[in-house]
Amino acid sequence: MNFRIIRNDILKSKAISFTTMVFVAVSAMLVSLAAILVVNLSGAIDTLMTQAKTPHFMQMHSGEIDTARLTSFAEQHTNVEEFQVVEFLGIDGAQIMLGDQSLANSVQDNGLSVQSEKFDYLLDLNGHIIHVSDGEIYVPVSYRKNNATEVGDRAVISGKEFIVAGFLRDSTMNSTLSASKRFLVSSNDYADMKNLGSMEYLIEFRLKDFSAIGAFETAYATAGLEANGPTVTYTLFKLMNAISDGMMIAVILFVSVLVVTIAFMCIRFTLLAKIEDDYREIGVMKAIGLRLSDIKKIYLSKYITIAATGSIFGYILSLVFQGRLLENIRLYMGESENASFAYFFGIIGILLVFLAIILYVNFILRSFRKISTAEAIRFGTSQEKSASAKYFSLSRNRLFNTNTFLGAQDVLVRKKLYATSLMVLVLSTFIIIVPQNLSNTISSNSFISYMGIGNYDMRMDIQQTDNISEKADYILKTMNSDSSVSKAAVFTTKTFKAKTEEGTEENIKIELGDHSIFPINYSEGRAPTEENEIALSTLNADELSKKVGDVITLVMEGKEKNLSVSGIYSDITNGGKTAKAVFNDHTADVMWSIISVEFSDKSIVEGKVTQYANLFNFAKVSAINEFVSQTFGSTINSVEKASTASVAVALIITVLVTLLFMKMLVVKDRHSIAVMKSFGFTNADIRVQYISRSIIVLIVGIVVGTLLANTLGEVLAGAMISLFGASSFTFVVNPLSVYLLSPLLMVCAVLIATIIGTSNAGKIKISEHIKE
Amino acid sequence: MNKIIIGDHLVKSFGEGDEKHNVLSEVTVEIKEGEFVAVMGPSGSGKSTLMFALSGMDSVDGGNVFFDGKNLSAVEEKELSDIRRTKMGFVFQQPTMLKNLNILDNIIFPSMRDNRKNVANILEKARVLMKRVGIEELESRDITQVSGGQLQRAGICRALMNNPKIIFGDEPTGALNSKSAQEIMDIFSEINASGTAIMLVTHDAKVAARTERVMFMRDGKIVSELKLPKFVGTDIDARVEEVTAKMREIGI
Ligand SMILES: Nc1ncnc2c1ncn2[C@@H]1O[C@H](COP(=O)(O)OP(=O)(O)O)[C@@H](O)[C@H]1O
Ligand SMILES: [Mg+2]
Repeated sequence: MNFRIIRNDILKSKAISFTTMVFVAVSAMLVSLAAILVVNLSGAIDTLMTQAKTPHFMQMHSGEIDTARLTSFAEQHTNVEEFQVVEFLGIDGAQIMLGDQSLANSVQDNGLSVQSEKFDYLLDLNGHIIHVSDGEIYVPVSYRKNNATEVGDRAVISGKEFIVAGFLRDSTMNSTLSASKRFLVSSNDYADMKNLGSMEYLIEFRLKDFSAIGAFETAYATAGLEANGPTVTYTLFKLMNAISDGMMIAVILFVSVLVVTIAFMCIRFTLLAKIEDDYREIGVMKAIGLRLSDIKKIYLSKYITIAATGSIFGYILSLVFQGRLLENIRLYMGESENASFAYFFGIIGILLVFLAIILYVNFILRSFRKISTAEAIRFGTSQEKSASAKYFSLSRNRLFNTNTFLGAQDVLVRKKLYATSLMVLVLSTFIIIVPQNLSNTISSNSFISYMGIGNYDMRMDIQQTDNISEKADYILKTMNSDSSVSKAAVFTTKTFKAKTEEGTEENIKIELGDHSIFPINYSEGRAPTEENEIALSTLNADELSKKVGDVITLVMEGKEKNLSVSGIYSDITNGGKTAKAVFNDHTADVMWSIISVEFSDKSIVEGKVTQYANLFNFAKVSAINEFVSQTFGSTINSVEKASTASVAVALIITVLVTLLFMKMLVVKDRHSIAVMKSFGFTNADIRVQYISRSIIVLIVGIVVGTLLANTLGEVLAGAMISLFGASSFTFVVNPLSVYLLSPLLMVCAVLIATIIGTSNAGKIKISEHIKE
Repeated sequence: MNKIIIGDHLVKSFGEGDEKHNVLSEVTVEIKEGEFVAVMGPSGSGKSTLMFALSGMDSVDGGNVFFDGKNLSAVEEKELSDIRRTKMGFVFQQPTMLKNLNILDNIIFPSMRDNRKNVANILEKARVLMKRVGIEELESRDITQVSGGQLQRAGICRALMNNPKIIFGDEPTGALNSKSAQEIMDIFSEINASGTAIMLVTHDAKVAARTERVMFMRDGKIVSELKLPKFVGTDIDARVEEVTAKMREIGI
């Protein structure tokens, strides 16, 4: 009996049951997708890093190297499992041709390496260690996406010809966020080319116990070993590998939370309306002595049916869509070993959604207890009081036409009813705007200021050469005489020794220069302005456990120098461990210099980059927007995808909920509609009334949603951005799309849904609802 | 005298296939301008259906309805609405009021649709009517705060707002006690005296006795008709007796 009642009930309210099911399905799909992606991503990263045997500690170094000293350090340190020095032969991008594409514009440091001997292997796309033959070259997988090079293409590097034999995964440098890219060639070819590039060393260690990495780093620094370059640890490699897809997962999670909320509200709303409709029957059932739990069971089983169907569909959908979202992970990191686990977690996610829905329905059904038998039978409904209606009297209305007035008044009188639909519209607006703002923000030029890079147009790196200071001065002088340059500044990075809490010494790279010219964003504090001030990157501050105001002691030529921490910023450059200060120093050697340049006219940047690249052949000249698009490109891409998807999801939600809501309203209002029609209101009049209701709710929804998006949404997005280490965060808003296009889309969605949803109002027969 | 409404061989059926049955079978009715008629008959005989067909609120499956010379079957929904709004008035058994609106707003809302510029006139007219039916004190009351009789009076005011050519009343006194019913009938008589045609559906011989012509329906047909002289406030008992005698005669 129960089954037939449920089936009939679901069939009778097809639209409503269907919409509810769609929401459950979408919620389930998103939750399951998020679970599948998280498991796959973490699994794939683990697999990649295990197969490649990623180093636990890597010190990049350019300049003289004393391998014997390093080897003896490795032998003496008990925690070292394996040690190796990998050579990285830096080649200027202009000297690299892949097919007919040149890498001249690449902001990456491209270079050649041979396959490592002990660990840090370069893997092919099947996860196997590559054995490369003479004349073959393997290309970093990121170039497969960007340049569309194909296997079998000809590659010319510094005049020597290779055949692209395949693509490689590099567990340390895969991410576009990592500044270097290794191309793999055979030892013979490498030996031939050794003097055609600039040599850099990757000093790599695998530890027996990774948890003691801190002690190892200290020991390395204290030993005064080679340290002319960034230091990177296993954790950072992992983070870099995770971040692009991690952002996408974060957006999906965020949207799924919202959609689940909306599904709940839909259920609440339809269930309450249904109870209201069935009020009299419930009262009668109560009166003839049916147990409340029996009645409850009928409702509950209906929602179990809907939720179960929705969940199953959602799961299937998530399986359909996962492939597309996993593409990037698969390409860069390969299959996860525990992929089947992922499906299991997807199911768990869906079960959670399902259970939550059933509990929620149960919770709403508690209101059954409050139904008074007498009231239910006598009045058929619980009487809604309309206190505020008095202030909105038709006889006093001069402003609106009568249909608009009737629509507006209905919204004001039945606030509770419209509150649900308002909430949904607020959420939809939120879902549309926040990812859009996020995506706009991270693709904007100023975003890099959260990443420890000032807002300039062109940068020139001088590295691995002699007389860096003189060359930098020469460049700066040239810049100052170029009238199209509006600002230019030199930053010089040097390594110093800092004393740790335990009294040991650790290397710290400090970028010296005037940091007020191209300000960056500080998550805490401010830029250093005095001689005795220093700003630390988040990673450095964490490692040294320093806060703003703390003092850090440098040891320079045996003398101690105290600096107070003026601010903390996030940084993705140079392994994330950097510092900024303004003091003058002649004690330490220059590791590298950067000249940052801003032009008054942005359109000439490209030309200037080419011009100066030719002029200063000792420097690497790059446009900063090129740098941004190459470094964050895939992240921006993921977030953009997610933001487009959110817009679509939000619009679908809006249409469905509005449709559902309007259909329900028409059913609820059939009597009033019949009355109005009997007194000569046309179908068009009725439609105008419903459109006014929708539009009023929509306007409030858009306003509230936009406000929330720019406040709460900013905080949430900030939390997401803090994956990168930044905390103080403001949206860069594209007003055209956020304040014009998005609301317009919402208006269209709501209008269409309202017109379709109320089309039944025209079919309401007066006679069927008033005839005695 | 001109005919305000002609229903010509009206057929209306409900249901499909085996269940299909004619609720109106070839009913022909004419109502003259200013005439006061009643329709009587057992429950389910098709009285309401006839009234809804004549007023264009319900379509017919056969025959034609002419209102003021216009064939309603050939007219668009929009124009039908216009005719109802400007030339007809309705009073139903249950108070068909909009829940959101107070008494005054319920009376004026159909007029406000077209003549918002003339709010002052509309309000004045509504207040005159309310005074005439004795509910002038109640204008800003909520519809849940007045009695059934008072609501019905408000309904009459609403029906009169547009100076209709005809008022349709589907058992307008059906839900009222006999005292209220008589008061409402007094109002109808008064309205009719000022020239508005009225068509009432009723079970109540006392109500029918006030009209000039009573049509008796059974099984979707008009089976008989009784003509009475215009009611001038006298002989009510004799008229009621005449109606009940007729009802006995045809077995209703
Ligand atoms: N919308 C409808 N659908 C099906 N049958 C209907 C409908 N409206 C009326 N009927 C049937 O038509 C017949 C006449 O109804 P009605 O005109 O309301 O009678 P009366 O008003 O004389 O009591 C009844 O048998 C009723 O069941
Ligand atoms: Mg009837």
